[in-house]
Amino acid sequence: MGMDRREFIKSCSLVAVMGLLYGCRKSAVLGDIASQLSVPELKRFEDEVRLAMSQAKKTLDLVKVPTPCALKIPGASTLNRFGMAIDLDACDGCGKCILACNLENNVPLVPDEDAARGRFMHWVELRGNAPFMCAHCGNAPCERVCPTGAANHTPDGLSAMMYKRCTGSRFCGANCPVQARKFNFNDAQKLGLARQFNREVPLRDKGVMEKCSLCLHRLQNDRLAFKTKLSVAATPEDAEWRGRGVKTACAEACPHKAIVFGNWLDEKSPLVQQTKDRILYAPRELAALDPSVVFMRGSR
Amino acid sequence: MTPLVNALACLVALGVASLLWKPKSSFYRNAALLAGFLLFACLYTYLGSETFDLKYLEPQLEHYPLRMLMLCLCLSTTSLTLYRRRYLVLAQGLWCWVELFGGIALYYRGIDVAWVRIAALAGITLGSTFLSRISKEMEFCLMVFWIAIWVFF
Amino acid sequence: MFRYLMLAGLALFLPGLYALGYSVYQGPSAWMVDSQTFWGTPISLFVFWIGLAHAGTLLSAIFLALGIKLDRRTALIAELSTLVCLVFAAIFPLMHLGVVKNFYMVVPLLDARGGMANVCSPLVWDFCCIAVYALLSLFFFAIHLKSREIPLLEKYRKPMAWLLFPLVLWVHTIVSLDFATTFVPQWRGAFFPLYFIAGAILSGLALVNLLLCTEGYRVRLLERLMLVGSWFMIGFWLWEFLTKGTFCTSAFIFAGVLPQLRIVSFVREHRTGRIFLSLSVLLGLFLERYFLVSPTQGSSSAAPFGWVDMGLVALSVGGFMLLFFGARRKLSLSMESEGTYFGEVDGSDMAMVEEAAREAEALSREKKRGIDLSYIQPWSSDEYKVLHLPLLVGFAAALVFSLWVSAQLPFAASPYENIEVAFANIVPLFYPIAALIAAGELLLAILHHLRQSPDSAHVTFARRISTIFAAILVVFAAVAGTFYAGGASRASAESVEASPLNVENPIEKYIREMSNESAESLPATMDSAEIKLLWNARCAKCHGVDGRFNEKFVREYYPVPQKLDAARIDSLGLDSLEKVVLDGRVNMSAFRGRLTEAEIRGLVAYMRHMAGDLSSSSAGDSAAVDSSAVDSAAAGEAP
Repeated sequence: MGMDRREFIKSCSLVAVMGLLYGCRKSAVLGDIASQLSVPELKRFEDEVRLAMSQAKKTLDLVKVPTPCALKIPGASTLNRFGMAIDLDACDGCGKCILACNLENNVPLVPDEDAARGRFMHWVELRGNAPFMCAHCGNAPCERVCPTGAANHTPDGLSAMMYKRCTGSRFCGANCPVQARKFNFNDAQKLGLARQFNREVPLRDKGVMEKCSLCLHRLQNDRLAFKTKLSVAATPEDAEWRGRGVKTACAEACPHKAIVFGNWLDEKSPLVQQTKDRILYAPRELAALDPSVVFMRGSR
Repeated sequence: MTPLVNALACLVALGVASLLWKPKSSFYRNAALLAGFLLFACLYTYLGSETFDLKYLEPQLEHYPLRMLMLCLCLSTTSLTLYRRRYLVLAQGLWCWVELFGGIALYYRGIDVAWVRIAALAGITLGSTFLSRISKEMEFCLMVFWIAIWVFF
Repeated sequence: MFRYLMLAGLALFLPGLYALGYSVYQGPSAWMVDSQTFWGTPISLFVFWIGLAHAGTLLSAIFLALGIKLDRRTALIAELSTLVCLVFAAIFPLMHLGVVKNFYMVVPLLDARGGMANVCSPLVWDFCCIAVYALLSLFFFAIHLKSREIPLLEKYRKPMAWLLFPLVLWVHTIVSLDFATTFVPQWRGAFFPLYFIAGAILSGLALVNLLLCTEGYRVRLLERLMLVGSWFMIGFWLWEFLTKGTFCTSAFIFAGVLPQLRIVSFVREHRTGRIFLSLSVLLGLFLERYFLVSPTQGSSSAAPFGWVDMGLVALSVGGFMLLFFGARRKLSLSMESEGTYFGEVDGSDMAMVEEAAREAEALSREKKRGIDLSYIQPWSSDEYKVLHLPLLVGFAAALVFSLWVSAQLPFAASPYENIEVAFANIVPLFYPIAALIAAGELLLAILHHLRQSPDSAHVTFARRISTIFAAILVVFAAVAGTFYAGGASRASAESVEASPLNVENPIEKYIREMSNESAESLPATMDSAEIKLLWNARCAKCHGVDGRFNEKFVREYYPVPQKLDAARIDSLGLDSLEKVVLDGRVNMSAFRGRLTEAEIRGLVAYMRHMAGDLSSSSAGDSAAVDSSAVDSAAAGEAP
């Protein structure tokens, strides 16, 4: 098969363009490595939280919901369903929970142009002057549309994320009615925007989704410690792990104790005890999706 | 939507269906009738839904105009002269399609799929592939079936 | 003519290629995305091009199946345009991914890691439908191209057309479900399937009409269909406006109002006028898709349409022109001379004339012979007979697949433990699977048929095709095998030591102090049963209860860790092992603060003990008993 001159030149130019593209890629990578060494100071994280709070949405449309009960998904635990309740009567919107969460979960900073557009990575944000995060819906729409199964539900009622399995289709983000999911648009580690305050939580790569994990690592630590202790002394009533004594970083940081973490299925859990005679609310969009993180206000 | 409005929709579809595929009627006339009926069905559903704030339109009504159009198509196939069985099956298949995929879209938003309606339609579609000569009685039977599916399922 | 169009395409394509390279490097933030939708231009382009890709198969297959005559040249052009459009429709969903290299996780094949794509996700349906559609369209086009040379193939065109008929509609229905199944208020719509199909057909018709203009002739039937299509779109837009209160005015003007100019004979009879009509429809429908995918467009939070977005548009438009006219030129250069590949068209409205003649003929025949003769038993016409068995087998396979994933098969466990898979979740995969299998069987039938034929040229042709397919299968198996094995497991660059800690975590500090104090009071090694429990709780998830790594779990998420055999442990030394446990290494996370030093020492000793067990076969029995005993302890643990 002959190849005329034009076709030859054409293919040559194609190859040249490919090479050029590849070249751009390489040099850009080298440029980024230089900035990798710098680790942002704590103050920048504090400033960013303040900026995000100033841009926060002022309204939150809440409707009444019943107390969450056991999950209906296959393989769900009948003993544990972790969740939180945020006391709107106690909360004054100070935003300490946001910073605590960022430091606990190594949430990266965002570049200035993203910040100007209100695109922060914060797992907790303020809406209607109260902390707002993923509600860990029992019937989570994000998990249903995830093509790879990276967004999944643990038997204990956490809506979990497998970062290594995420292919970054952002379908979950599009399908979350309250936009609680954050996408790593930037390579925060290369841009010097990430810092590992907490070694137990990995830094996320560019191109994956993330969101509130209900401090999964703390729960996991407690579970494993419980299993280790089991051999020493096991009383029948405490033979099952219920996650007692665990608190999320935001709940720990709250000066007014407005965030209550616990196990919806455990009578002894502070969550069940403190929500017993309160009226529970959830965002209107989530009310039908069986949320685990709810708001409480007033008393019954 | 009240059952009366629902039944009325069926009647309107029947009326438009009788105008379609007349011998000698042009391609444009048939197409304009169908497209016009689609426009009408949209307005009909909008006015008949009784929820004038359509931000909260009943989700089940989202594909109602299309269902009206499909019913009309099915009813109109009885007046064809050529390849009746083929177009009959295709029209019913299309109706089934609208119901099935509309149902799946709604299922993901927490509304149950109308399996009975889909199964009934699929059953008729399969059954009507075995029809040989479609007599006047058979036409009537089919129409009754479709209208029954519309009104009761 | 084709040469200049090709060069124009190249001029658009090259800058587009740069935009593509940049956006793959930069990731999704390169193009216009806003905080609400995350998708932006690539997905609008994807929906647009997949819509255009319907033209070919729609016109060719559906017209063939329904017996509407279309001349060979138009049909071939339409089929070729489908294939080229599919190339660009496939690029955009791939390049829009955040982690492009993980795209294969969307394929619903069980891999060695025990992972399976979530078949409930519309994206997985998308992938399957489009892949099957591309394969079958290619097959259909090839049959059509070869059918002049080998008349025997003509018999298989109609069955293939019937197979493709639902698939064409299915593909765009599934694309519409990407939107319709979500909770985004602007995408609510159980009417989306037909709405998208109508839009796809309209844009496909516009594209074919445009391409026919470059060929220098017209098919009035297609122009009329385009006009009628715009009427239906107006109906759908009215409904969208009524249900959501949103309305894309520019789309309405370009694809709804302007096409009506066809009524003016001056516009209709001039080629420029026809080009204008087709371009207007295409532009209108692109704007509509763009409007749909970015619901916040026009509000203050929306990002601007930047140069990358324009580059991506240029890439697809230029690339289409380059590929399509390149292929068209090649076909006419090498084949038109023989006068066989593209039929002659005299510019008259053949389709309508032929159809009218055929209808009249059929009518008179019916009258003459009586109605009984014209009746064909169901499923017994020629095209059905060929399809019969393949379709049945295809449906059976699809049924088995559905039963398997929804955990209904008694002999094979479902790949899903924590997901409820309902019938409505897997229906969309049903037909693509069936069609793929049926098409495979048709291919086998064709090859068999060719081998039986007396013409030796046919036999050698069949042999050549078989060889090519065997080679493709081998390559596919190799690629699939690579994925199945998990590919190379390169250690990722992020290591725990890379980021020094300046701030001491107060909890961590507290625990460390506590453990330092208590370390002296504890014995150097802890109780062995306790250590075993500790190992099973903390380490066994990755390293396995016996110290060999837990392959199924680990390969799913991380590169494979070291096997803890005796040689490996000896080479590291006890001190450095303890350090690894404390501070982590590559993918192993740090356990400082989570384990006391005494516990770590105990674990390292246990590791050695197990390694000794592993190396000496005599101890194998006791190890097996141990591991089964501790299995039950670890079983209740969640991942």
